[in-house]
Amino acid sequence: MPTRSIKAIFFTRFHHEKGSRVLHQVPEGSITPSSSPSALSNPLLPFSSITSYLIPTQQFCDRLLTFCVNHYRVIGYPVCIREGRYSRNEFRFNFAVVVEEGVADWACYGEVVRKLGGLLRGLEEQGGFLSREEEGIWEDDAEGLEGGVLVGDVGSKVYALCEVVLEDLNNYAECMIPIDESNTINLKLFPTHAPPPPIHPHHVPLLTISLSSLTTPLSSDLTLTRIVPFINGIHSVSHISLLADTDLSLTRKAVQHLVYYGCVVLLDIFSFSAIYAPTAEIGGFITDVRAQEECARYVRVPRMLDRRQVKMGSESEKSRDRSSHSSHTSRDSEPDVEHERKHSDAPSISTASISSVSEHAGQEHRKSATEVDMEQGKISPETLIMLYTSLRQGLHLRSWVLENLAQLNGIDIRRLITFGVIKGFLYRVHKYAVSPSVVNPLATMTSTTPTRPSDQVTLRGAPPTTAMAPRLSHKPSIASTAVTMPKAEEVARLESIASEDREALPLVRFLDGVHSFDEICTELRMSEKDVEAKVRGAGEVQLLFR
Amino acid sequence: MSLPLPPASTLHSILLVTKSRSLGPRLVFHYPPLSPSATALAADQAPAWFGYGTSTGSLDGSHDDSSDWDSSTDNDDDIEVGSRTSGGKGSGRTSYRDKDKHSRPGVGIWGRQESIDEEDVEEHVEGKSDKEGKGQGGDYDWNTVLGFKIDALEKLLCPSKAFNKRRFELGVEGIVFVGAPMFVRDDGFWKKPRRRKDRPKEKADESVANNNIQDSDGDGSGIPSTEASFVYPEGFEPGYGHGLMSGAVSEAGSDTRSNSTTGNVPDMTMFNIVFVLNPPALEYQLRVKEMYDNVTRKFAKVLKYEQARYHYVWSESKRIIDIKQRAKEMGESLSVTWQQIVNTSPLAKWIAILFDAIASNKIAHIHFDRSFSTSFQIPQADSTPYLPNALEPQMPGLWLTTSNVVTEDDDGTPLTQHSALLLLEDAETLIKDLESDSRGSTAPLAFYIRNIVPTKSLQKISIKHNILAQDMEYVASHLVFWRRARLIPPLHPRDTYIVSPNADMSALHAAIPAYAARFPTLPSLPKILSLLSGTPKPYRFFIPTNEHRERYMEILAWLMRGGWVTQLRTFAWVRPNDAGSTSSNRTTIPLHRPSSPSPLPQGKPHHRPSPLHLKPSEEATRSPLSPTHNVFSPALPSPPPHTTTHAGFAPSIVLSPQKANALESRWLEKIGATFEDSEVRDFWPKLLRHLDGKHAVEDVGAQEGVKRGVVWRVWGAVREGGWLVVVRHW
Repeated sequence: MPTRSIKAIFFTRFHHEKGSRVLHQVPEGSITPSSSPSALSNPLLPFSSITSYLIPTQQFCDRLLTFCVNHYRVIGYPVCIREGRYSRNEFRFNFAVVVEEGVADWACYGEVVRKLGGLLRGLEEQGGFLSREEEGIWEDDAEGLEGGVLVGDVGSKVYALCEVVLEDLNNYAECMIPIDESNTINLKLFPTHAPPPPIHPHHVPLLTISLSSLTTPLSSDLTLTRIVPFINGIHSVSHISLLADTDLSLTRKAVQHLVYYGCVVLLDIFSFSAIYAPTAEIGGFITDVRAQEECARYVRVPRMLDRRQVKMGSESEKSRDRSSHSSHTSRDSEPDVEHERKHSDAPSISTASISSVSEHAGQEHRKSATEVDMEQGKISPETLIMLYTSLRQGLHLRSWVLENLAQLNGIDIRRLITFGVIKGFLYRVHKYAVSPSVVNPLATMTSTTPTRPSDQVTLRGAPPTTAMAPRLSHKPSIASTAVTMPKAEEVARLESIASEDREALPLVRFLDGVHSFDEICTELRMSEKDVEAKVRGAGEVQLLFR
Repeated sequence: MSLPLPPASTLHSILLVTKSRSLGPRLVFHYPPLSPSATALAADQAPAWFGYGTSTGSLDGSHDDSSDWDSSTDNDDDIEVGSRTSGGKGSGRTSYRDKDKHSRPGVGIWGRQESIDEEDVEEHVEGKSDKEGKGQGGDYDWNTVLGFKIDALEKLLCPSKAFNKRRFELGVEGIVFVGAPMFVRDDGFWKKPRRRKDRPKEKADESVANNNIQDSDGDGSGIPSTEASFVYPEGFEPGYGHGLMSGAVSEAGSDTRSNSTTGNVPDMTMFNIVFVLNPPALEYQLRVKEMYDNVTRKFAKVLKYEQARYHYVWSESKRIIDIKQRAKEMGESLSVTWQQIVNTSPLAKWIAILFDAIASNKIAHIHFDRSFSTSFQIPQADSTPYLPNALEPQMPGLWLTTSNVVTEDDDGTPLTQHSALLLLEDAETLIKDLESDSRGSTAPLAFYIRNIVPTKSLQKISIKHNILAQDMEYVASHLVFWRRARLIPPLHPRDTYIVSPNADMSALHAAIPAYAARFPTLPSLPKILSLLSGTPKPYRFFIPTNEHRERYMEILAWLMRGGWVTQLRTFAWVRPNDAGSTSSNRTTIPLHRPSSPSPLPQGKPHHRPSPLHLKPSEEATRSPLSPTHNVFSPALPSPPPHTTTHAGFAPSIVLSPQKANALESRWLEKIGATFEDSEVRDFWPKLLRHLDGKHAVEDVGAQEGVKRGVVWRVWGAVREGGWLVVVRHW
């Protein structure tokens, strides 16, 4: 974390007669030449050409002012205090930090400088923290020290401040400096994080760190404390909000916070009817032995969970309750995630389904394979590679499991897939439905506006403005489909075709190819099967996989 | 491998600042006339930029962001509606979008700009209303720009001479001023006088200038080469209001003039063209660099060239200052005055064109004068091999492929020759565009463009039409650079195409009618996409008859153009696996214990090997377990694949056949020897080169100069032998 990015810190003062002058600099000689024995031989910056940015006009004071010169970035916060007790009624200074120009995340230094500027201003206003030290300074160098640098200002508090801030921020990324009995400066470099993406109800959060192991309470956010126990890489956000009995939007926000701090990654809803396929990153996995080992450790089922295995197995560390629990879940013979995830927790879910599925397979083989697996306790990288590379577009996980039964022994399928998704070498092929009648009315409207104006008028109640049409077509959101669902007869038709019950209409708005089945299912709280049946009923609907 | 960021110039404004002996530092011109107000920039910006919302809260950042996350944000709205209907309480709910809007008082102005970016077509309409909307506010405020007092700003933007031709970068809170200051030389010239002795120096100077300009932007096509071609640009009046220009009728005049009359003391000593950006903190370095390298510096160089030729920048500056002064005295509004300035001063017009295009991430074509025009853009990625996950910036519609990834160990042959060129617009539209853009002859270019088809590699096209390969390549790279075309692997019915996971589904609305208009009698777009999104199959399976072939290939090209589909490419590595060979120690762990008479996987009723299914594991199971296999207990990390210090050779995947170590080479030789077919055996070494997981098998034919049938025959045989790890992706 400490990068030693700060190359120098210096304190510039503006004197109404003598101009801008560097009063303190760490290290010595970094800004203006210094006669100190430890001084740098060459200043980092040409001070004379940057004074106008260090001490700018009133307009630019009390703002963060940065500029690049000589491949360094100077981050300053010029302050101008206007008060009667100063000569010319103003006191101007700048406490600036120098980092290298290429430092990517220099924003955190900007924050530190801003804070320091404000603090110094306060200290000066309160008790003349800065001006007190200056007595005699401006006179004694009248003989003309080069660049006006004061040498050996060891007793100076401001110099000490420069020194401590530089060292501590460079070494520990934070510092605490007591100024007097009532003031302390606390600084910390906070890395800049990317803005979090919006969280959807069908996203599945998975913690990347163990939040439960934190000793201090995680947060005072009640929603967050309530949802964290349910974040396990299986429950979707909407499901979590149900389980934790929290408001969905607050839940989404809480998850967004976790995402922002990198505590959570987002997955899709795991299901055996889903399709996964490798991305271009798969090459990285195949060539990376360490990733394969990590994967093998991650996906391995720690012990065989079947009763029969317990009987024949000699593993003593096997815990009873665990195996009984899973054998219980293994009776839920449908590999239906929607169903299962209500009952089981993370590790048992897919193994349960494996065991249930594999009951159909040869018993004998199973035994022997497990036996081997137990002895070796290891999944070979070849198996992993073979399994991953055999995933492809158009192949449901269900069928894939059946195709690869033998190799999947001792492997937690959900973890196997999740591992790939987390590492980015697998992607979920989402399913979408497109109904031409939902997409088209709008589309034809935009493309052939002049030809069929009558339609438009009757439907929208007002003549469509040409300016509006393209914009609407551009936004695939529900808002636009709702507004521009112009063809009453279309809607009516869909409604009648789709089904007898009233759920047809909410479904229709998802058929524009923008909403994945995960999303539709979560929204409507229906199983994928039911949704698909309804969708197919809604006339000529095309299913897309993307 | 990192994800390219969505294009977002975050450009707010362009300023032209000059420093002259007579007027001092002067902000000559800024565009657009009304920039975001002081409050919007200073008050609103500061916390947002460093704070939680990083870019979401910042003015322009937010608008770019909202388009970055476009599809998702829109979905967001849906969900809000959905949760409302499904019983979610609306009380404490704030959608991210709403929050955004509330926290940004300045959104009124820039919110409008959003729609411009989103919808090109609207631009003109929107642009107008935009102007009018702004007209209400500070339209009569002549004293501030971007919320700063002009006199303070202009001083700040006139750096000392140390910054000559350097990057000038000044950040004030969240916004940054990026400039390329140009200073007059100490001898009073704007360019290095060469061959001063040759007094009839017009030509020399001219050519020097030409060289300069050619160097600077690599586009020397339209540059005047002789005195004769010199024509004043529209609206340019030599000698307007100032003595300096009176001599400009003869080219050398300006130089001579400044020599004699003003005695090497030109009035203007510096100009600085400053771009005001507002990049999100995390993208700061990238955005600033992009802007400086691609636009700021190049534009400044052109201006300097113009200044050196006819003192153009300064004379125009004075003209603009004059108009402004008069308008200010008359109490006119900024927007009206700006209209007038842009109409009268070409310099102002260039800046306006530049701003409009760059701010909306487009290409700015600027005709500097009759004979010299050039274009500016911030290059954009046209493809990515990397599919973003839910946490990363989305770029829906960006072409997903590895075919454009340059691997470091590519052999000399330029990839371009084997690629086809996919025009992103129709050939005729493109030609028309080019004709209106450039003033030279476009006939040859039009000839090239008409002959470009996405199904043939450039090499084939150039052979067929007798075009020089270099010419073809030059045209191709030109078109690609200016976003008119993309280099793709030639489309072929035998190749497999899938719906791209990065396809922009939100564009489906617009795409369906566009498609229907183009291919009226053929299956609809959703239908085609549905076909292509099933189990991957070579494209020819979707073509009903031979007569349809051409139309279907057109469909494919159209889909490719829109980023709807991408080619599914095959990658492979060699995996030595045979038992009873050079190695006896094995790390490959069979799934079955040899002692137990277990049925082998292929005997299983459910076990259907897929086309991609790898057989080797079955063979592996037959071999006896090595006694040493216990060495590799799970606790121990297995040795890296290339360690030769290891007791025995573990037949692991050969990562790079061309850099194979001794043992691997022996394996590869041995594998080669097992092939019975001589054709396969002969081709094996050539094929081998591509089996490193980085080169697609689909490309082998073109690169090795063999028919694709041969490649696939050999490929089939090798795969049959179970020597490969095969994976398919884009």
